[in-house]
Amino acid sequence: MIKTVNLTKVFRTDEVETTALNQVSFEVKEGEFVAVMGPSGCGKSTLLNILGLLDNPTDGDYYFLGNEVSGFSEKQRASLRKHNIGFVFQNFNLIDELNVFENVELPLIYLGYKASERREKVEAALEQMQIIHRKKHFPLQLSGGQQQRVAVARAVVANPKLILADEPTGNLDSAHGEEVMNLLEQLNKNGTTIIMVTHSQRDAEYSHRIVRLFDGQIVTENIKEQFAL
Amino acid sequence: MFLNYLKSALRNITKNKFYSFLNILGLAIGIAAFIFIFLYVRNEISFDKYHEKADRIYRVESDFTISGKHDQFAIVPVPMGPALKLEFPEVEEMCRFNDVGNSLFKYGDKEFYEDGFYFVDSTIFDIFTHKVLVGDPKSCLVEPYSVVITESIAMKFFGDQNPMGEIMESGSGRKYKVTAIMEDVPINSHLKFDALLSGSTIAAIQGGDAFNSMEPVRFWNIGVYTFLLLNQNADMQSVHQKFGGFYDKYMKPVGDAINASFDLMSTPLTNTHFSGNISSDLPKGNMAYIYIFSAVALFILLIAAINYMNMATARSAKRAREVGIRKVAGAFKKQLIGQFLSESLVLALIGFAIALLLVFLLLPDFNNLAGKTLEFDLFRKPELFFTILGVTVFIGLISGSYPAFYLSSFLPVTVLKGGSGDKGRKGGMLRKVLVIFQFAIAIIMIMGTLIVYNQLTFLKNKDMGFNKDNMIILELQDSAFRSKVETFKKELVKNSNILAATNSTGIPGDNSWIQVVKMEKDTAMVDNAMLLTLVDYDYLDTYGLELVEGRTFDREMGTDLEEAVIVNETTVKYYNWTDNPIGKKIHWGFEMDGSGGRILKVIGVVKDYHFNSLHNKVEPIMLFMADFDKYYVSLKVNPENIGSTLQYIEEKWNEFGAKRPFNYRMLEDTWGEMYESEQKLGVIFTISTILTIFIALLGLLGLSSFVAEQKTKEIGIRKVMGATLGNVLALLYKEFVLLVIIAFIIAIPLAYWQLDNWLQTSFVYHTNISILTILLSGVLAIIISMVTISFHTLKAGMSNPVDAIKYE
Ligand SMILES: Nc1ncnc2c1ncn2[C@@H]1O[C@H](COP(=O)(O)OP(=O)(O)OP(=O)(O)O)[C@@H](O)[C@H]1O
Ligand SMILES: [Mg+2]
Repeated sequence: MIKTVNLTKVFRTDEVETTALNQVSFEVKEGEFVAVMGPSGCGKSTLLNILGLLDNPTDGDYYFLGNEVSGFSEKQRASLRKHNIGFVFQNFNLIDELNVFENVELPLIYLGYKASERREKVEAALEQMQIIHRKKHFPLQLSGGQQQRVAVARAVVANPKLILADEPTGNLDSAHGEEVMNLLEQLNKNGTTIIMVTHSQRDAEYSHRIVRLFDGQIVTENIKEQFAL
Repeated sequence: MFLNYLKSALRNITKNKFYSFLNILGLAIGIAAFIFIFLYVRNEISFDKYHEKADRIYRVESDFTISGKHDQFAIVPVPMGPALKLEFPEVEEMCRFNDVGNSLFKYGDKEFYEDGFYFVDSTIFDIFTHKVLVGDPKSCLVEPYSVVITESIAMKFFGDQNPMGEIMESGSGRKYKVTAIMEDVPINSHLKFDALLSGSTIAAIQGGDAFNSMEPVRFWNIGVYTFLLLNQNADMQSVHQKFGGFYDKYMKPVGDAINASFDLMSTPLTNTHFSGNISSDLPKGNMAYIYIFSAVALFILLIAAINYMNMATARSAKRAREVGIRKVAGAFKKQLIGQFLSESLVLALIGFAIALLLVFLLLPDFNNLAGKTLEFDLFRKPELFFTILGVTVFIGLISGSYPAFYLSSFLPVTVLKGGSGDKGRKGGMLRKVLVIFQFAIAIIMIMGTLIVYNQLTFLKNKDMGFNKDNMIILELQDSAFRSKVETFKKELVKNSNILAATNSTGIPGDNSWIQVVKMEKDTAMVDNAMLLTLVDYDYLDTYGLELVEGRTFDREMGTDLEEAVIVNETTVKYYNWTDNPIGKKIHWGFEMDGSGGRILKVIGVVKDYHFNSLHNKVEPIMLFMADFDKYYVSLKVNPENIGSTLQYIEEKWNEFGAKRPFNYRMLEDTWGEMYESEQKLGVIFTISTILTIFIALLGLLGLSSFVAEQKTKEIGIRKVMGATLGNVLALLYKEFVLLVIIAFIIAIPLAYWQLDNWLQTSFVYHTNISILTILLSGVLAIIISMVTISFHTLKAGMSNPVDAIKYE
């Protein structure tokens, strides 16, 4: 599903040049649950943004669903993104001015669904995330765990093939964190591919394998499956 | 404490340079516009108030009714003043002003045409307050052939020389001795004169008995501006009440004979500048324009104040933390309010200082535009300074009060938790209402400007029914020259660039001869006041008047000179001649007992033409020929080679021995002057509109920058969710465009109502307010507001979503 070859990202600000990703090559198959780990600043979020088609690499190739997309325009990326990828962020990134229902509805609006279809799908997703009773509330009226469940609902509402989660439990206590992890595991079991950045070894346990980054490079690929099988 | 406020106010102002700049600029322009309009309005409403006895001075006016038709004039018969003084104990003194008209005056080798000279009674300085610099105000105008000149005339004719006792000679050879020099008449005087000739001169010329006669017939000729000074505690009303007896004694015999009556009207001197529209009046102010300009000044200020309110509350999300922290640190609500108020006050005062500078710099241009010579006498008149300062402080306080109370009431808990504090959506709502208000005003002003210009174009392009362009007008002030006019005309048309020439007593735009004639109506001959112009054979051709019936004057017909008359269509309608106007009779020039005069027969009807400005309805007029000195020569010329044509005319003028230096005017210019006040209104309106819109846009610019800033995160999230640039921009623009559209919808009826009213009341002939104009103003407002918000909106829309979602 995903394959990168010598993926490199260099940030230039004024005089300083940061190599956030240095020749990263790896592969994710459909249905996999991959955890990305590494110290702060090693390039995890940068990698996820590129995989999520939010950003272009400076160098290297990126194959998404068989297309080489590193040279895609913003418009092409946006189209590919909205049809295939859902995002979950550490800081939830919900829109404060919209209520729960409207937040979850957003991806469907941009996919051009009819209002009745949207209602059906949003309610199903909220049901699944057990937050349906709060659909009229605004994000600031919810706890962190509730907000993250809304964010996950938004990520899955359009039924994407891939979910990218950047430290989804980073702002949550362990009980709420576990809730979210269970939700992600459930989604993976139902066939959704998941790539998740995390600092927590416990969260990483939910994944099939762990990719470790250090200074923009992959240092180990612990393929849990190999041992598990 | 106060110093603390000031320090923190200054810190906040310098910290947010962009918003402070927008606010100060808006306030400075707003206050400057306010000052200009204030000066203008103050000058307008101060007209004639400087006379010490102003509250006791009245101008008397005429209201003639002839065969049931009213004609009102700002002037009254010559003996009216003295007779009123004689009959009414209320009248302490009277003074008459008799316009000399445009005439030549000479001193030594200096000669100028002057049109600000008046014959006046010697009582002028007892009634009016004018400073006589040299000479005795009591006696200077008693003797015939005396002249009192103003300083400007003294400079113009005499330079450094002492004018006292010198002789100024008029074009007709009369010699006037300078008996006094006075200060120039203030600009806020409705009757601005440059020099005064003693009224006794007229008595000397006509003979004292004739001039001072109070025969009834003399009361039926209008002639002079007349002012009455009433006794202390006397009431003009009682003069009006007793006027019936006066009428019976002085005027009734003739009135009954000609089926007419007369009533005296009066206007307090201090209201004369704004009095209603009557004939023969001097240039006037327009009270409606005073209201319009005052409203505009207030609106501009208000819009600048709203900018501050909007930006301050919009910024509240950012300030909320500061408020929360201050409150936690123990600040009282009152202190917070003081803090915010001092911030808006400091901004307003900076705006005030810049505004003063702007006014000093731009006053000459403003004067030029408004046709005034206003002074910005800030330091000589402290009340002016304090008025403006007071307004500034007021603006600072009201614009600061809302944000002050709004922000200081934030609860520290909500604010510190990370909320914007603006959760009630109340601030957002009010902001929207204020923006709608601003744009409603701006749109009304855009519509106003467009309509004023539509009307001006209409005035310019309307088919007047006569040739207005390329007409040269000569005035024959010299009677010897007038008798040679036929040969003069013949000489002129020999030049191929002079296409036609005519000699007449009136021309379109200057046609004031009204006389009572007997008109054939049904089977009787009825008395009626009628406008008339004495013309020659070439008048219709030269002016391109179109005949709709009958024929024009014909040299072959020997009788035309004696008995032919041409009338306009309105006359035909008015007297119900529609079946056959040709041959209808008009009796002109009869004596008081109805004998004598001439019976004229209608030989033709001309299509109605606008011999008066389009403010007025076309009235009945008659054109005929008579052996009578005619004042005007009109020449239709080729628009090319005007220079050499004029040179040719001047040569002939001198060759024919005209005793006056060559002088001419273009008819178009005279007509242009008739719409000067509308022209001025147009210019002032345009400038005010531009300023209003500019200030409103400053506010929008600031606001859109806040919104863009506030929405960066939302935009980022939406983009991640698949929103395209188009989706995001639509979202950002929608917010403002919706407000402008609401403003537009509110503006339409208000603007329509006001403008329609203006067109209806000011002009008999006017353009209509078209839907296109209305739509155009709305579209204009939407486009310029879109462009304005684009600066920040585009930037926000195109930002990389990765940056937006990364940080809280
Ligand atoms: N827009 C940017 N401009 C310049 N440098 C950047 C930018 N984004 C990231 N970087 C740099 O790239 C490197 C990798 O950043 P990245 O955000 O991917 O780290 P991370 O592994 O996600 O760290 P953390 O665990 O703290 O989230 C860092 O050194 C960071 O400073
Ligand atoms: Mg990161």
